[in-house]
Formats: sequence, structure tokens, C-alpha cells
Amino acid sequence: METLSDELIMQKVSEGNLDLLKVLFDRHHKHVYNFLYKMSGDHMLAEDLTQDVFYKLIKYRNSYNNGSFLSWMFTIARNSLNTHFTRNHKSHDDIEVLAYKVVEEENDVNENNDHLQYALSQLDPEDRELVILNRFKEIKYDELAEIFGSTPGAVKTRVCRILKKLKNIYLESI
Amino acid sequence: MRKFTFILMALLMGAIAQAQSDYTKSLDGIQWVKIESKTDIVVKTHSSNQLLIKSGPEVQTPERAKGLKLVGEGGTDNTNVGFSVVQDGSTLIIHNLRKNKGGEIYLPASKNVSVKSTWNGDIEIDGFSGEIEADAQLNGGVKLLNVNGPVTASSLNGEIEVQFGKVTQSSPISLYSTNGAVDVSLPSNTPANLALSTLNGNVYTDFDIKADEKDGMKSVLGRNIKASINGGGVKIAMKSTNGNMYLRKK
Amino acid sequence: MEKQHVFDEIPDYLDGNLNDAAKTAFEKHVENCNDCQSELEEMKAFLNVLDEDVAPPSNRLKANFEAALEQEKQHQGKVVQLESKSSSNWTGNVLKIAASIALLVASFQMGSLFQQRKADADIAQLQDETNQMKQTAMLSLMENQSASKRIQGVNYIEEFEQPDEAIIQALANRLLKDENDNVRMTAFDALSKFTSSETVKNTFIDALGNEKNPSIQVALIQALVQIQEKKAAEPMKKLLEKEDTQPFIKEQIKAVLPTLT
Repeated sequence: METLSDELIMQKVSEGNLDLLKVLFDRHHKHVYNFLYKMSGDHMLAEDLTQDVFYKLIKYRNSYNNGSFLSWMFTIARNSLNTHFTRNHKSHDDIEVLAYKVVEEENDVNENNDHLQYALSQLDPEDRELVILNRFKEIKYDELAEIFGSTPGAVKTRVCRILKKLKNIYLESI
Repeated sequence: MRKFTFILMALLMGAIAQAQSDYTKSLDGIQWVKIESKTDIVVKTHSSNQLLIKSGPEVQTPERAKGLKLVGEGGTDNTNVGFSVVQDGSTLIIHNLRKNKGGEIYLPASKNVSVKSTWNGDIEIDGFSGEIEADAQLNGGVKLLNVNGPVTASSLNGEIEVQFGKVTQSSPISLYSTNGAVDVSLPSNTPANLALSTLNGNVYTDFDIKADEKDGMKSVLGRNIKASINGGGVKIAMKSTNGNMYLRKK
Repeated sequence: MEKQHVFDEIPDYLDGNLNDAAKTAFEKHVENCNDCQSELEEMKAFLNVLDEDVAPPSNRLKANFEAALEQEKQHQGKVVQLESKSSSNWTGNVLKIAASIALLVASFQMGSLFQQRKADADIAQLQDETNQMKQTAMLSLMENQSASKRIQGVNYIEEFEQPDEAIIQALANRLLKDENDNVRMTAFDALSKFTSSETVKNTFIDALGNEKNPSIQVALIQALVQIQEKKAAEPMKKLLEKEDTQPFIKEQIKAVLPTLT
């Protein structure tokens, strides 16, 4: 089972073998959680939303279209995050600002993380998502391109630019 | 009385039987064991992966046949216990060559067995979890005990009695008799889709079955009952043209 | 010599995503370029921070996920049962067919890991397909060595509202040729729903001429009388003449023959 690809497993899940979702959960829930935590800076929120992502995998298993599983899962994760922000806050509030506020409320994060979260909060939300997703080794440029509706080449250039910008913000803040 | 005589005989002959050796054969690579007999045949389970044919009481070989081999419809006695055993691919074919003596055969419980009685013999199969096929073609009955696998059984004049340990959900069960009764015991919590039908017999059961007979079918084709028990499951078809049907909770 | 800076390659270099040639070129450039060198150092330090693992999620996450999964499975189970009341449930059954086909494949090729995975792929493929595959699965089950599996194959007729000629023909072959009485009986039951088909009528007439099992004989007689098939009179008369025909069959024939002639 360990050797089977995410795609093959998800296909079987969509055919009714629900138990296989446990394999996918074990493989990926930390990535999803990491992504959501870095996006929001909030452990509890990240956990709730991670849960939400996997609930949606269960619920929408039949709509899996046999494409890249990671792209599909992170698309769901991004949607969950966006839905959360638009539902829980006034629509004119910017995600960026909100995420920053959340960061400031966090007291127990270590200093590195504090600065990193600050730096991340300074980015455009989409840039932030892109760069966080890029840092998961499993995700290739073409999967990022799929998620963001772009081309692998353009994504690569953009990731480099954002990384550089993010690094500079970070270094200036410490 | 018959049973008593049999036990007495068995006891008397027991000592002699020891002298004659049983026949064994490895079952490596064998998936199906097919047995054909004109007389009573009993198939039981044991723990080794071997075919064991009990020699039973010594066969009285006629004086004139000394040094000769018994030849019957199914082949030649190559086991010295009155049976012919031939391997055909992954199937082992066993013929009981004797016309007046039954046989007792032991196999591992997981083997698939197919037993055919072609004359008056009763078939008794006990304790198998592999697939069972039993066919009593003339006057014999079929008795299947502690069944845990799929079953197909048919008989002409004899009765079919099946006692399930548990009912496998993987493959359908089919029990048909022309003139004999069909008597089945199931664990009461067995999920199944039942199809019971009889032309001239009656159906008796303590399962909660509502007969939803199709309009007009009753008068033409006798009783046809289709029902789900415990939420539905594997298909169990029972049919006796002229006999009664008994479906019991175990 | 002024060369193009390699800023854009830095992350890929650090992640080990560059091929050998690009890597050599990159290192050669960095060696002589202070800007790129400091950029590389900074990026390296920064990525370490960025990639730092955050505190892992609590166990609550996994527990909740598994609870939700169990709930969904139970829900799934209920749906299946409701469906299976109306007729047999294809999704469940196809798995069984697929499993038996997979078993066949495996037993032919002696199940190594490779075969196992091939079988898995077969299952997946099988489920994606529609009627064509159902039909293939049904036909292949009907050729199985096991009588129970052949009966299972015959029973899948319930999945087809209007079975095509290939299926009818396969069922007819079971009724005419299968060595197992139970399979022939089940094949008869399946075909008796399609007596308007010429193939089925002719099969029944042929079967009545060959069939030895009295239960199937009487069932054939009744079905043929019900559709008032005149051509059935001939094999019935022959049965009347035969010595080994069961008395109750003869009675039955005597009772119905006048309605056909």
C-alpha cells in the first residue's frame, strides 16, 4: 500500500473504499496543517480547517477527477481558508490584515516564528499561498501551476521573486 | 436399528481394519476435489493438507481375484482401498469403485469439494469452509453440516439438509430438490435475500418472511417467495418441486 | 567579466533541483560574484527558518477525522442496503465479480506483487466501465469452474433490463450445456423473464428434449404452456413415451398437452 500513488488511492476511495482515506490522511494532514498554520498563524484555526479539508475529501470523493491529488487537496484547503475568512469577517476586511491581527494575538510562538509570520503577513495573500505551497517538497511547479491557473515557468519565476521579497522583509524585521 | 448394526459391525471389524492401511495423498496444488460414488459417501475435515481415505473394514476380495486389481466405471483401484484417484490439473478426481460399500474421506476444511452420488448413496459433508457442490442424482439424500462456504446442492428423490455455521456473503447458495424436502438451518442474524419456491409442497419457516407473491404466479407456478432477512445479503435460492421446504433459525 | 546574476536559480539550487550542468554553472558564477554569494547565504538562512516545522497538530485532529470517516462509512452502508432490497446491488456485486476475476488472473499467473497490483488496476478499471464491462464480467463468471460462481454470473441478469443477444445466448448455453443442475435451473429462471425472445423460446424447446432433471423439465413445460408455444408439443409427446420420465411429469404433460394442440 505504501507504494501506491496518491492518485490511485484516491481513485479507490472515490469508488467506495473509504478506509483508504486513512492512508491519505496519514501522508498529508501535516502538510495541510502546516500550510494552514503558516497562512493563518493560528494553531486552533489551522487544526479546524485541516479537519474541514479532510471532511471535504470524504464528502466530495466522487468529484475527484483523477488529476494530481496534491493539487486537488490544496485547492480544497485554499477554498476552506478563503471561505473561513469571508464568512467570519466583514467582507471589506482584507485577508492580509486579518491574518496579521491573528498573528499578533498569538502569544506563545517563538521569536523566529513571530518574525516569519509577520513577514508572511506582509505579502499578497496569493503570493503567500504560493510560496508556502512551494516549500512542500512534494509539490512540483506544474502542480502549483495547476492550482493557480498559470504555467510552470511563470510560477517558478514568481516563486523566486516572492521568496526574495519575503526574505528581505524577514531580515529587515529582526 | 440400522445404525446400531452399523456400529456393531464397525466395532467388530475395527481390529481387522487396523491391518489394512489407509490411503493418503498430498493436496499441494489441488483446488478442487471431485468425488463420485454409487454408495454412501462421508466427507469430513482434518487438519493436514492431505487426502485421507479410510480403508474401513477389509474388503473381501474374491479368491479368484487374488493378485488382480478392482476395475470399475471410474477407473482402476490405484489406492488399495477400493478407490481410484486421478489428478487432472488442479483438480483431484476420486471414484469409489465399490458398489456396495461406502467410504469415508478426509480433507482440509478449506478445500473445494464436489460430490456426486449416482445411485443410492447418501452424501454427508461436514465442516467445510471451501465451496461445496453436492449432487445426489437418484435416490440418495444430501446432508451438509457446519457449512461455512458457498453451496450448490441438488437431489432427485432424497432430501437436502443443510446446517450452516455461518453464511458466506461472497457467493450465492442454491439448493434444489425434485421430490425430496429441503431443510435448511441458518443463524438467525444471517443477512440474505431468499428465494423459496415449490410447486406441490409447502414452505415452513420461523423467519419473519412476508410472501410478496406476484399476481397470478401462485396458481400457475406454485409458491414463489422472495424476501430479505436482516437487511438483505447473499442470495439463497431453495426449490423443491414436489417436496416441502423448511427454513429454520439456528 | 560581468555575467547575468543567478538570483532566480538560488532556491532551486538550495533545494537540489538543478541538474548537474546547471549546478556547475551556478557554482562557478557564485564563486566570482559577491552579490549572488551573499544572496545565497541569506536565502539559505531564511529558508531554514521558513521550512522549520511548526508544532504538530494535536491528536484531536486524527480522532475527529476517523470519527467522521466511520460515520460516513455507516451512512454508505445504509445506502447500499436500501438499494439491495429492490434488486441486487451492482456496486457491491461488481466488486465481487472483480475480485473473482482478479482471483482468476492471480491464480493463472501465481500472485506475485506485480500481479497483485495488476489485479488492483483491473478492479479499478472494471469499476469505471459501464454496461460493456458488466456484461464481460457476467459472461466470464458464467465460465467459472465453480458452480456457485456460475450461478452468481447468471443472477447478474437482474442488472440488465434489456439484455442483448450475447447475454441471452450465454444463458441459453448454461441451460442447455451446464453439467450442474442448479446452474441449469438458475439459467432457466433467468431466461423465463424473456420468453418473448425467439432465442429463448427455441432454447426452451431444445432443453425440453435434452433435460434429465424433472424439476427443470416441469418448469420448462409450464413456461412453454404459458406462452402457448405450439412447437413444444413434440418434445412433450416424446417425454410421455420415455420410460424413465417421472410419473408426475407425465401427469403434467397429459394435463397441458390438449391446450397446445
